[in-house]
Amino acid sequence: MDSCLGVEQDLDKALSKFKSLNDNSSKLLQNIIDQVEEIRQEITKHADDTQLTPAQAMLISDLAATVKTTTAQMSTGNYHRELHATVSRVGKSIDRHFIADYASVAPKAESFCNDVNRPIMEQAIAQHLYRQGLEDVGDAFVSEAKITGVERTCTFALLQRCAAALAEGDPSAALNWAERRAHELHNSPLPFTLHRMQALKLAREQGVGAAIEYARRQFPLHAARHERALQAAVCALAWCTPGAGPAPPIYQHLLDPKALGAEAAELFIKEACGLLRLAPLSPLAGGVLAGARVLPALHDIRSKMSHPHVIAAWSDDELPFEVDLGEDGGGYHSVFACPILRQQASEQNPPMRLLCGHVISRDALNKLAMGAKVYPLRLKCPYCPMEQSPSEARQIYFS
Amino acid sequence: MNEIRSLEHSTLKVPYEVFNKRYRNAQRVFDVEARHVGTVATEVDNATKKQGVTSGEIDSLLGGMVEKLTTMKRKASEAIAEEVQAAYVCKKRLEHLKEQAAALSEPSTPQVKTGLNQWRKVRLDRMLVEYFLRNGYYDSANKLADARGLRELTNVDIYTVAAEVEAELNSQRTARCLQWCADNKSKLRKLNSTMEFKIRIQEFIELVREDKRLEAVKYAKKHFSTFEEDQLKDIQHCMGMLAFPKDTEVEPYRTLLQPGRWEALVKQFRWEHSRLLHPARLPALPVALQLGLAALNTPQCYSDATRVSACPACQPPLNVLAAALPHAHVSHSRLLCRISRAPLNEHNHPMVLPNGQVYGEKALKEMMKEHGSIICPKTKEVFCMKRVEKVYVM
Repeated sequence: MDSCLGVEQDLDKALSKFKSLNDNSSKLLQNIIDQVEEIRQEITKHADDTQLTPAQAMLISDLAATVKTTTAQMSTGNYHRELHATVSRVGKSIDRHFIADYASVAPKAESFCNDVNRPIMEQAIAQHLYRQGLEDVGDAFVSEAKITGVERTCTFALLQRCAAALAEGDPSAALNWAERRAHELHNSPLPFTLHRMQALKLAREQGVGAAIEYARRQFPLHAARHERALQAAVCALAWCTPGAGPAPPIYQHLLDPKALGAEAAELFIKEACGLLRLAPLSPLAGGVLAGARVLPALHDIRSKMSHPHVIAAWSDDELPFEVDLGEDGGGYHSVFACPILRQQASEQNPPMRLLCGHVISRDALNKLAMGAKVYPLRLKCPYCPMEQSPSEARQIYFS
Repeated sequence: MNEIRSLEHSTLKVPYEVFNKRYRNAQRVFDVEARHVGTVATEVDNATKKQGVTSGEIDSLLGGMVEKLTTMKRKASEAIAEEVQAAYVCKKRLEHLKEQAAALSEPSTPQVKTGLNQWRKVRLDRMLVEYFLRNGYYDSANKLADARGLRELTNVDIYTVAAEVEAELNSQRTARCLQWCADNKSKLRKLNSTMEFKIRIQEFIELVREDKRLEAVKYAKKHFSTFEEDQLKDIQHCMGMLAFPKDTEVEPYRTLLQPGRWEALVKQFRWEHSRLLHPARLPALPVALQLGLAALNTPQCYSDATRVSACPACQPPLNVLAAALPHAHVSHSRLLCRISRAPLNEHNHPMVLPNGQVYGEKALKEMMKEHGSIICPKTKEVFCMKRVEKVYVM
């Protein structure tokens, strides 16, 4: 936010300066034009072939001099030229508040643009476009980038079209879809959300009467599970009559078709994908979403790591630190990190369950066993008093 | 640091470069017009000094001056209007960025979250448009920008010139590209660009190809005389070409005469053009995608038994790309139930079956209710609930 505000301040300054300059230059030039015209009128009072009096000649010569100095001032003096500082300040402000060379923390990104990997990435892009239901754009891209091996049709495009219609405020396609799968959706909030949207849409378009009738037909089925939301929706109808005052804040989002549509679209995609076992994000979108979370963190750490010792951390097999990808940005796999070694488990170093139920990695287990000097080997669980022999630990599988 | 600060530099900087260029143009308009007015004013001044000048003569001279002043006024206000318009493009984008910044700082109600997700979708579309533009997929860029109503938030309009130049180069015409070089002369020189030189060489080659050798020599005299130090070798090659027939097999003249050079010119132009506008070497899309894949990448993404359909790094085509990338760094376990995809924690305990497979307590209980026994989804072995044990993960 700060970065935006910083740039905005400089930009606003530049804008207001340019506006006042525009008014000023027009006024200034119009002023001179008026003066010249005035003298012309004075002169044309006489016949064309009368000679100029010395006084007139003097006046005109003075005028020519003012015209010259004023316009020269506008070009070379502190006029438009002066704004250079203001303009370049905007540029500098952008450079200061935003990171220009964002790619420097991703040394491998270059390899995505070489001739081997680019086609693969572009395949993913085409896949994404088709998934979004943007067949036109996808076709144009496939032919321009000469991509092969991407399927044009996918089930997701159909869902995407329903969601797009929802976002536009039309729930009919989504309602149709939900109707057909009603038995699978009986635990989902989707049907009620769609019916609610339809009722509020009717209220806007055909009047509250039609909406209440629709609500009477559809709402009772959902009354048990969505009591509060149902009450709120019916109450919101009170502000749908023409001439109603502004609604109180808790009903506002119900009365804003755009916000309601966007919310329904999101829920629709989530529920439909869950039902059809599809990923709600295309691989490209999922990857980019996570990447956008990583970048700031990497920039952050780079700004702190100018010390030569730290350069070793940019090793090749792991990112240098952990990034929280948020609720919906990651977490596709179970990852077991050994609580002792603070390391991700691998095939060579799998998770082992001790008799007491605590889980550590095999490397950690071996290290603990080595520490025991008494034979036969006994080791104590690092987390509870239980003792056991290392061979009693069992490998377990999280994925 | 936040996502806007990290990713959106070029979103603002590119329209700023346009703004800056318009500013310079406007200054030139002021200079030229002031000079015109100045000349007329001097004429008027001289006329008044002449003996016996008539009011008719002066009147027509003054009329000329008014005309020049009016032109100056019109042109000045046009130029300033263009500057302001360019600045408004920056402003528009800034407003769009502020939307996200505002959403991030607000408490997370469902509405705000929906808005944020919407914004991120737009961001992906913007990234795609930028990627298309910088790789010369102009048609796709235009279509996507139109389909999503993103003309103002992306640089499609700024790139129309580039699209035209490339089309001309593809049909082996150089005029527009030379015009572009002239328009951006000072900046190209600062970047040590060889664009104009390369085009000149190509024109020379074309003359040789058409066997207009004398004209080629004339052309060389005109354009190669102001060469830079390191260009001498290229010029020598060019001049050497004059001694050989146009279907020669002798290197380097054979390569010089190959039509593939035009494609290279198109590529170079595309690169120089984006270098002029963008400070970053790469578009944001591959950068974000690479880091994202690295952050999602786990050792489990590469075996059929452990792949997850929703994970971007697991699925083709990106799976191939992810294989070459580092893995995510994880110091705390992050466990998911493979049946319900719900997180495993104190509310949904991880439970181990006698075969070592771990699942969530809730999903196993549900399975128990439905089937009366536990069937391991992976190995299809059947167990009873008694033999399922708790697992403690720190």
